[in-house]
Amino acid sequence: MWRVTVTRHLLHSLAICMTLLFVGTTIAQESVSADQDPTTAAALEADAAAAASRDKFRSLDQDVQALKKEVLDLNRDLFLLEEELLFPANSQVAFFISMDVGEYFALDSINLKIDGKEVANYLYTEREVDALMRGGVHRLHMANLKTGDHELIAVFTGKGPNARDYRRGATLTFDKGIGAKYMELEITDRVKKQQPEFVIKDWE
Amino acid sequence: MLLRNAILTVFCVSMLAVAQPATAAKDGPDPIVVNDPQYGEVLFYFYQGEYFPAIVRLLAAQEQAQLTEHEEQAELLLGGMYLSYGHHLEAADIFNRLLAGGADREVRDRTWFFLAKIWHQRGYLDKAQQALDNLSDDLPDNLRREAEMAQSQLYIDGGQYDRAIAMLQNWRGRTEWASYARFNLGVALVRSGDVDSATGILDELGDIDPFNEELAALRDRANLALGYSLLQSGQPYAAKAPLQRVRLAGPFSNKALLGVGWADAEIENYDRALVPWMELRSRDLLDSAVQESMLAIPYALAKLDSISQAADHYLNAIEAFYEETNRIDRTIGFIESGEIFEQFLSDDPLDSTGWYWRLEELPEGPEARYLYHLLATHEFQEGLKNYRDLSYLHKNLDDWQDNVEVYTNMLETRLQAYNERLPLVESALARADLDGMVDSKLEFDSVLKNIEESNDWLALATDREFELWGEITGLERAPALAADIPEAREVRDKIELLKGVLQWQLERDFKDRLWRVRRNLRETGEALVETQRSRRQIDDTMRLEPQRFGELSGRVYSLEPRIEGMKFRVGEKLAEQRAFLQSIAVGELQAQKQRLDVYTVQARFALAAIYDIAATAEEAGE
Repeated sequence: MWRVTVTRHLLHSLAICMTLLFVGTTIAQESVSADQDPTTAAALEADAAAAASRDKFRSLDQDVQALKKEVLDLNRDLFLLEEELLFPANSQVAFFISMDVGEYFALDSINLKIDGKEVANYLYTEREVDALMRGGVHRLHMANLKTGDHELIAVFTGKGPNARDYRRGATLTFDKGIGAKYMELEITDRVKKQQPEFVIKDWE
Repeated sequence: MLLRNAILTVFCVSMLAVAQPATAAKDGPDPIVVNDPQYGEVLFYFYQGEYFPAIVRLLAAQEQAQLTEHEEQAELLLGGMYLSYGHHLEAADIFNRLLAGGADREVRDRTWFFLAKIWHQRGYLDKAQQALDNLSDDLPDNLRREAEMAQSQLYIDGGQYDRAIAMLQNWRGRTEWASYARFNLGVALVRSGDVDSATGILDELGDIDPFNEELAALRDRANLALGYSLLQSGQPYAAKAPLQRVRLAGPFSNKALLGVGWADAEIENYDRALVPWMELRSRDLLDSAVQESMLAIPYALAKLDSISQAADHYLNAIEAFYEETNRIDRTIGFIESGEIFEQFLSDDPLDSTGWYWRLEELPEGPEARYLYHLLATHEFQEGLKNYRDLSYLHKNLDDWQDNVEVYTNMLETRLQAYNERLPLVESALARADLDGMVDSKLEFDSVLKNIEESNDWLALATDREFELWGEITGLERAPALAADIPEAREVRDKIELLKGVLQWQLERDFKDRLWRVRRNLRETGEALVETQRSRRQIDDTMRLEPQRFGELSGRVYSLEPRIEGMKFRVGEKLAEQRAFLQSIAVGELQAQKQRLDVYTVQARFALAAIYDIAATAEEAGE
């Protein structure tokens, strides 16, 4: 007698196992939540519970989305405030690094001196160099400078043609007038000479 | 202007980045021309997958109208980045707006496709359906298959099995998607009650030759489903073949082994049934198939009249279930303490966020084994993403709170320094008679003009020359030289000569000196103009600086409570999100515990029955 009871119960659980197989129908795509036989009361209950859980998730997700928006807006305001406070428009100078092609030079680091004083020494990660090569522009340094002439010296370190250590400098005397000024330090390829070229210029 | 190397247009970047942010940008033929450095800076962060700082910079640049050369591209990029960041509702708003303005059909399709995908994943089924409805027939083949699969799943989710079946039965193509489609068709048929048709499909799928792990798993799953379906419908002989096709080392092997045992048990071949069940004993008790095998083994032993061995196995099972229940209780306690969620994130720095993030590995510890399968569920993963994003926001606000405190101090210090310097500057300005200097300069101009007009070369003589000229003219007038004697005549001639030489030199240098003086005067004039401008700036600064300080202070002070309030709300939502994840995890564990409870009761009941039989037999023997 007892054996029959156990067998029935086990087979019942086997049936559940069978239907459970349908949880997540595919591996590469989304799952089909056909985890229970919808014709049974238990399955209906499970479906209702899943729907309730989905609703709860959605409600939470919507709140999180709204919060994200608010925090992003707040970050924007803070970012602008920080820039205005630290680098007022009249004295602001920003130094941007850009790279065009970059076949003959693999950038490691850049050292920046303004009027003989070292202001930045930046070591680039592989990910950052990749971003530069794709067209990203890195704001290497921001400074407050008085109006008048200033001397900028940039030293680029990395691997040059044939993966040899490469270190080159570029210099420019620039005039800082009233208002924000943007300087571009550009790394380009001189195809004819198969050498990199380093140019400092006003961002036009 | 900066001409970049071969990179896709920003529009394509923003669209494709949603699918493959790391590689999409490299393949396109069109160059990007970055005209605004701020736009390039956004790209710099975007290409590194750092969507949050990229979005903040883009919003700031838009606010300051710094993206005049990239206005439209920036808006599209923003939409793409919102989508990548998982900020799908905001992204949808942007795309809706931009697409309403008329966009290329391919772009529209891709946009709706990715929105459908993210919404489906996040459980926004109605929105996912709307997005799919917006797709045109020109969607590229690879995306179309995925979109159709998503559509069929939406039908199944919504109980529209007939529509799902109709769609999946007409599936074209021979890619691996076709196999998934067949499987989903089987699911839809089973759920619609047409088990016979489903059986044929699953059998066909269970016999495919898989060329990758995904297909092998799909094949296992089909075989398992088919095997159990046949078992349930009383066909144990037929059930064995598909169950034995399941790989022994795959994720479905436990259930397959259990099923093979039951197929043998159904035909009363208990010796054979014990073989797969005994194999399951050495496997992880976490699996329900392994748990069930612990009851199946004594059941088979009892059938083979090994009553005492059966009793031992039941006792073992009761003990094992008890220990497992205790471990589950400890895990529930650990989850409820919230510590586990901190561990989730501790090994994974918060430097990047976004839709692509997935927790691949659980923190080490005895609790991890209970939660592995939770990671496979979208709800848990998406919930974890939100939890992670909220943690990032909380940390971000924490950092800003520290910074704003520094800015407050900085502003106060600046204001103090300004107030200290102001009287000194005012006094220096009062001493500087700028108007008097301008008058003097004008007077000099007039004098110089007269000198030039009158050809007054003596006016431009040096001090020494002027002194010499005075001496010479003084000697000329000396009475002694008026005498008409040869000595006086000789001196007079010498004086005449000296005077002539000096005059000749002064007249020779006159134009040059005039030019130099005029140049100096002009430079003085320019310096005066510059000084007047500086003076006006100083006046402006003195007038506006208090106003500027006031405005900046106002902003800083208003931001402080804003950050505080936001941090509080993020903290609240973080707790809510954690509670949600806890409820999923604990619910899952409770279900496991309940199953173990049921098995324990069954084992105790069977054991009692065995003791009962044994006692009855003893009594009969006596």
